[in-house]
Amino acid sequence: MALHEINYQLLIENPKKIRKEWAHIGVVGSGDLEVLMERKDLNGAVQVKVVTPVTGFDFIWNRVLESFITENQLGDLLIEINDNNATPIVVSIRLAQALAEANRVEEEEI
Amino acid sequence: MLNWEELQESSFLESNARERAKGLVDKGSFVELLNPRDRFHSPHLPVLGEAIALDDGIVVGIGKIGIRPVFVISQEGRFIGGSLGEVSGAKMAYTIKLGLETLERIKEKYPESWEERRPTVVISFETGGVRLHEANAGLLAHAEVMDIIQDARKKIPIISLIGSKLGCFGGMGFVAAATDVIIMSEFGRLGLTGPEVIEQEMGKDEFDASNRAMVYRTTGGRHKYILGDSNYLVQDKINAFREKIQEVVHLPFDQIEQYRRIGSLQNVLQQMELINEALEINPNDAIDVWGFYGNENPETLLDLSFDQFMQKAVRREIR
Amino acid sequence: MRNDTDVVWDSLKRDTEQRIQSGKAFIQSGKLVDAKDTIALLETIIKPGDKVNLEGNNQKQADFLAESLCKVDPKIIHDLHMVQSVLALDSHLDLFEKGIAKKVDFSFSGPQANRLAKYVQEGKVQIGAIHTYLELFGRYFVDLTPRISMVAAYQADKQGNLYTGFNTEDTPVIVEATKFKQGIVIAQVNEIVDKLPRVDIPAEWVDFVIKAPKPFYVEPLFTRDPALITDSQILRGMMALKGIYAEYGVQRINHGIGFDTAAIELLLPTYGEELGLKGKICSYFVLNPHPTLIPAIETGWVKSVHSFGGELGMEDYVAARSDIFFIGPDGTMRSNRAFGQTAGHYALDMFIGGTLQIDQYGNSSTATASRVTGFGGAPNMGADAKGRRHSTDSWLKCGNEYTMNHQLVGDIPRGKRLVVQLQETFREKRAPGFIEKLDAWKLAENAGLEIPPVMIYSDDLTHIVSEVGIAYLNRCADMEERKAAIRAVAGYTELGLLADPKETRKLRQKGIVKTPEDLGIDVSRANRSLLAAKNMKEIVEWSKGLYNPPNRYRNW
Repeated sequence: MALHEINYQLLIENPKKIRKEWAHIGVVGSGDLEVLMERKDLNGAVQVKVVTPVTGFDFIWNRVLESFITENQLGDLLIEINDNNATPIVVSIRLAQALAEANRVEEEEI
Repeated sequence: MLNWEELQESSFLESNARERAKGLVDKGSFVELLNPRDRFHSPHLPVLGEAIALDDGIVVGIGKIGIRPVFVISQEGRFIGGSLGEVSGAKMAYTIKLGLETLERIKEKYPESWEERRPTVVISFETGGVRLHEANAGLLAHAEVMDIIQDARKKIPIISLIGSKLGCFGGMGFVAAATDVIIMSEFGRLGLTGPEVIEQEMGKDEFDASNRAMVYRTTGGRHKYILGDSNYLVQDKINAFREKIQEVVHLPFDQIEQYRRIGSLQNVLQQMELINEALEINPNDAIDVWGFYGNENPETLLDLSFDQFMQKAVRREIR
Repeated sequence: MRNDTDVVWDSLKRDTEQRIQSGKAFIQSGKLVDAKDTIALLETIIKPGDKVNLEGNNQKQADFLAESLCKVDPKIIHDLHMVQSVLALDSHLDLFEKGIAKKVDFSFSGPQANRLAKYVQEGKVQIGAIHTYLELFGRYFVDLTPRISMVAAYQADKQGNLYTGFNTEDTPVIVEATKFKQGIVIAQVNEIVDKLPRVDIPAEWVDFVIKAPKPFYVEPLFTRDPALITDSQILRGMMALKGIYAEYGVQRINHGIGFDTAAIELLLPTYGEELGLKGKICSYFVLNPHPTLIPAIETGWVKSVHSFGGELGMEDYVAARSDIFFIGPDGTMRSNRAFGQTAGHYALDMFIGGTLQIDQYGNSSTATASRVTGFGGAPNMGADAKGRRHSTDSWLKCGNEYTMNHQLVGDIPRGKRLVVQLQETFREKRAPGFIEKLDAWKLAENAGLEIPPVMIYSDDLTHIVSEVGIAYLNRCADMEERKAAIRAVAGYTELGLLADPKETRKLRQKGIVKTPEDLGIDVSRANRSLLAAKNMKEIVEWSKGLYNPPNRYRNW
């Protein structure tokens, strides 16, 4: 009955770091999730922790994360996700939004 | 997240708790306390197999309006109905407490000009009250918040904002009523017992919770404004709420005290007068109440635009 | 050889005259029967085994007459053969529970889908066939002609003329099929007036009029609250606008009922404007008066809308936009489902809507193993009209790309309707939207149907839009390529996991599959800020106060 935790790690070639130190997006509503991204020296790897009430879908999580990390060439990144029954598309949209946030040039910087 | 300028034009209803918190204070001034990176989530939910949130469904922090520090508490309705648990309750209570401590420090540092630097607490409610999964802790948190609100009485103003989808119900309805000032939008709702519970207890004939128009007529911003339960009604924009907060914090503190609903003999007498009026009106619908307080063709108020409504609506006079 | 004089050529007429004569006992004046005499009237004029039509569709319902028919004595009236558009009300199935009716030919049963499946299994209901609306209307004039029809109208005058107004819907086709084959027409009306705004059904075609105790029920089925539109619906909407509407320049359209198409309607004034598509797409609709279409109408996107039925709360808005909607000389809209369906079948270039399941070939269905949902009108829109002979740009472009067609017609140019399904790979509770074999097969077995109910057949389907990408099925050379394209957009469903990445890459190169990236769509932009209206109040404001949402949709 306790919450389910999925840990996933991936190291790809020529990874890019996110621009900001950290970013957070999303709300853990029903069918939704929050994503926290933190820049961290992981020898180029990406480490992901997913906390979810849902079991039996680890394989799909791994596939979604793999394609997200590979397509965006990410590295030295910690991703933490709290999920509440989100479908894969919602996960993909939130990951994209979190990455956009993590790479955004803040107005203060301009 | 949208930048501050974009947030100003954003719908308060559509925004999430963090966006509201950031947009309600001066540009660039909001600093979140116990932000998601601090991972200060509920210790109880994992044991029950329930999803957790890094902020436990409440965003707290400090910002500024001019030279005044503003302590912002912003509930997130989409996380377990904005319910108050042990962690979110502590975050709420201790943010108000921080406001009180700050007042003391400001008094020390600015003995001459502390009044114009008086801190303010702003609470954006989006909640059905206590989190049933951690009920005892949640109820204690309600009591603690009530207690600290009493401590803050006549020291720092506490302003309630209600304009989000879930409104403000349950124990948090009491908390909002105990604050100094309430600002609502027409999409906000304020009450104690939620519509579904009333229907369940009293029957569909008495209160049909699926009739959203009726639910909003009875608990929504327009009604609460006419009745005086809400001191102000503003447009559904973050900057409309922010500007109203700005206006209120500049009011003389004595005047803010006049806005209260409870907490004095005069308030008690007023509330009793309201009960007498209710007996006299014996209303079937909120519209009857609006008519009683002097609104001609009160049903036409329903669909007026915000501006037209503000021009036309006659409010209950509070003596 | 029989003597000519022995042959009776007007037995139906004689029988009808007899029945009406005995029903006259209940008439107070003109054609008016008091509501309290309804059951007795029905027991007098209906006979066991009659084909009976109870008017009702996914919008208006002759609910008082349906409830009254449920109360007749099953010893007097039994074994009725119901021929009607929908099984939507409890009373529609109570008829079978009580043994008053035995067989049904219908089109749609959404709200009663579970109960219907159960009754079929228990042998309480015999299903003749499940039709589309237009198909059923057609059969009213062939082999399913009602002997008795019970219809609903807003008003009647003293002579018995009917005003069906905004919600005319199925009434004309039912009355014409019944009355011109010597049948009997009973109408329930909301009120009796001295003078009607206009005559929708002439009194000569109506035999009995009853003022119902309550106005007839209307379901606001096409009202979608923008507050409930999700980011993933917005993403699919953006993909559809860019990858299909713009790609083909589609001008004549029907939208399905779901939130995906509501999102598209609300994206026209924002994202559509940004893409510079105004005037190039979406000028003509055959569509119920969707409240979510208001912002697009108000910003000048839409030239014309013809509606199958009325939508509660849209009366004043529609009446005030006579350049757009079909308004009578009296100033109110008349919807006529038979014409709407005809227009939808022959005169549209695209149907786009959602479904429950799509199989590996591209067949789709809204049925599950325990729900007989039926079809409504969607398949008339979601099918290539084989009798279509006029050409439009988007129709021709879609047909020219339809590689498989050349095997059937050689080098003759032939267009094709765009039939597009918007499909989330997983619905709530992770139910897959793509599946190897449709649940409709199990339903067919469970409910003893001859064929699995299919909403849209694969050979009609031209495009699938899932959040993973758009599959341009019309561009596929053969069934193998088609199946690969479907797998490529099926995401992480079991079917999607069978996709071969190498093959998918090849399909992307050929333009048969396009991902959001291929379409130049930034997924992180897919959020509610793109909607022209985010809640019902904003729709009311767009309508300049003319739209009057039903109570359940008001949040102020």
